[in-house]
Amino acid sequence: MGVSRMRNPLAGVPMPILDDLIEDEYVRSLAVGIAGMVGLLAAVGLAFPASVAGDLAGIVFSTSTAASTARLAAPIVLAGLGGIFAEKSGVINIGLEGLLIISAFASVYVASVVGIGNAVLGVPAIWIGFLAGIAASTVLSAVFGVVCIEFKADQIIAGLAVWLIALGLAPFMSTVFFGGVNTPNLGARVSWRYSAVMVVVATLASWWALNRTAFGKHLRAAGENPKALDTVGVSVSRVRYAGVMVSGVLSGVGGSALALSIGQFVGSGETMVQGKGFIAIVAYLFGNYNPLGTLGAGVLFAGLDATQIRLQQLGYAVPDTLVQTIPYVVVIVVLALVGRTRIPAAAGDHYETEE
Amino acid sequence: MSRRGGGRVPAVVRRLLAPFVDRTVAERVVISLAAILLSVAVGFVIVLVSGRIATCTTAAWTMPVVGLGFCYDPVQVYVVLFNGALGYPFAVGDPGLLDPAWTPFNISLGLTLSETTLLIFTGLSVAVAFRAGLFNIGTQGQLVVGALATALTVLALAPLLPGGAGGGVVLVGVGTLAGAVGGGFWGAIPGALKAYADANEVITTIMLNFVAANVAYVLVLEVFRAEGSSVVATRYVPEYAQFVPWLFPSSSDFALLALLVAAGFIAGLYYLVEHTTFGYDLRTGGTQAAAAEYGGVNAKRTTVRAMTVSGALGGVGGSVWVLMSEGRWLESVPALGFDGITVSILAGNSPLGVLPAAFLFGLLKGGALEIGFQTDVPTELVGVLRGLIILFVAMPEFFRMAGRYAGLGSRGPGPEPDDVGGADTDGGEPDA
Repeated sequence: MGVSRMRNPLAGVPMPILDDLIEDEYVRSLAVGIAGMVGLLAAVGLAFPASVAGDLAGIVFSTSTAASTARLAAPIVLAGLGGIFAEKSGVINIGLEGLLIISAFASVYVASVVGIGNAVLGVPAIWIGFLAGIAASTVLSAVFGVVCIEFKADQIIAGLAVWLIALGLAPFMSTVFFGGVNTPNLGARVSWRYSAVMVVVATLASWWALNRTAFGKHLRAAGENPKALDTVGVSVSRVRYAGVMVSGVLSGVGGSALALSIGQFVGSGETMVQGKGFIAIVAYLFGNYNPLGTLGAGVLFAGLDATQIRLQQLGYAVPDTLVQTIPYVVVIVVLALVGRTRIPAAAGDHYETEE
Repeated sequence: MSRRGGGRVPAVVRRLLAPFVDRTVAERVVISLAAILLSVAVGFVIVLVSGRIATCTTAAWTMPVVGLGFCYDPVQVYVVLFNGALGYPFAVGDPGLLDPAWTPFNISLGLTLSETTLLIFTGLSVAVAFRAGLFNIGTQGQLVVGALATALTVLALAPLLPGGAGGGVVLVGVGTLAGAVGGGFWGAIPGALKAYADANEVITTIMLNFVAANVAYVLVLEVFRAEGSSVVATRYVPEYAQFVPWLFPSSSDFALLALLVAAGFIAGLYYLVEHTTFGYDLRTGGTQAAAAEYGGVNAKRTTVRAMTVSGALGGVGGSVWVLMSEGRWLESVPALGFDGITVSILAGNSPLGVLPAAFLFGLLKGGALEIGFQTDVPTELVGVLRGLIILFVAMPEFFRMAGRYAGLGSRGPGPEPDDVGGADTDGGEPDA
């Protein structure tokens, strides 16, 4: 990629990334989002008796909620970060859900094949599984990249296909290997603290890569003004492949973390991923392509989900389903108030290199 | 609006291309068929590979020449899939081939056609939005809302009307209308948000799916739940207010009348899209938003209308699901709306194409049940096939390249009007 060779190759190229405007809009969207969220939570709290509100407060600030928030946030935030890389480069990756599913299954499968308690080259089985999950997701994202970049497929439809293929393939393979759509439990798991650390590290690293490196600059140029990038001699296709593959790697970390934090892959219905890949898309749009904003949105959604699960365990049947609905309503309200987030100008378009 | 973008293709070229529009239709049909064949081939390999990994005592299939044994027989899988979905009309191995004892009015074909009927409605729903340049992922939510509206309306009106055929006709009619209104309302929301608040419809419709599922669930759980029901469901609507299963066994949940109604919707929608002013606005808005606006099309109103029509079709799909398949609203609503997306994509978003596409996915659904009964191969294979078909349909360029490589007619890389709903131009942002 010539990171060191090229010092600021696009210095003279006007790029319509209006930092001020985006920061402003971004701050606004998050502020409105959080205000709406808190307001709705308060409304729910007021609508129900004090005992429920007390329970709610207790739940929100408990360690077990923090643990399950970290567990649930990992796939959302990591896939969301991956989605930023892909979309910034000009490839809308709506198949994040599929990448999460395939990595969740592959991680558990490989960990069980190696056998818990065994190690390969000194690496424990569960971490071998983790790497395998990342590899599976990266391979699938590479296929998606070839289909979109080489064969000029419609990105939305190809992304949908990635989701559908993974949605079929993971339970299919699980049935072939384990005789059922759900794998047996490994009997070992990755602590939620690792998930939390990975999420924070990945967020900071993504922010740095996007904003402080030549690679990040190339990514943005490939998505905003591919011709300019081409003019300075950088291959647009290669930058886009890199963006898509990074989304595969990050989603792989998220999917593996999700499955291995439980020690099992659940493949019934929408699988254990349950739409987290789509929520990830919402999270990064909500964060306006900013990794830190994505982290905030992801943790917010995961926190609500975790709170809801705890409420369920305490036997509040009605509020859960409605509490679960809050993030979706808030997203709609925020989108309606703030309007569309500004997607990269060339996202979704094919780029033909001009000889 | 980069999704709808201005014209990259100059009007002159378009006019020159117009006589060849039929060629693009033919090309699309060829690509769809090639995509299906390629998916079948890839599925064949997947079955082989997984059959090599799975453990079994006797090999179901032995590869010729090499002599390797496999646990699954890929040929048998496809025979069971397509033959079984039709109720085994072909007696495999017999010299006569066609089984004389076969009747089209069997359970398996009934299940296949039942699924086909439902997919026609959801496929049309997605197709209409696509034609307007809108990606309606929310057909599922519109179907859920429409289904609930139908069930509640019929349950509320049934005691007020005389029973029997007369009352039944009224109830089915009013119930379906309620479904259309409910679904149309749920579709109009993202349409209005898109038109007047510039909120991305892909996101809002995904969100509204979750909202619809959750709110409908809570409503039925708390207010409309049938007494003594172990699942979250409404009461059954009266027998006479359901579609009557002519000819087919009632256990197949299929009513020929519903399929005929669906066919009528296809014809109606084809007329609406291709031969009316609204259809013209819809199509030009979908392919050339800026030009349409310049030509006097009210883009905002067209967006809301298109999403309302799309939602209403999804809602009618929900009505038919209640009045034909289940007889009540039930919490586990099948993913018919999502499958509608795949139907529409395979159909090239053409109302007429929805019929064969819906039938193919109906076959896959009916065949999946048979695979479960007759073979050891996991039925999830059908899900993989579905994904592969969509993936291959999404990459026409691959087939064009393959065609050029094989020397099959030089379909030049000329500008193809690509109205698959996705971004097809690199036009600027008129609103930036």
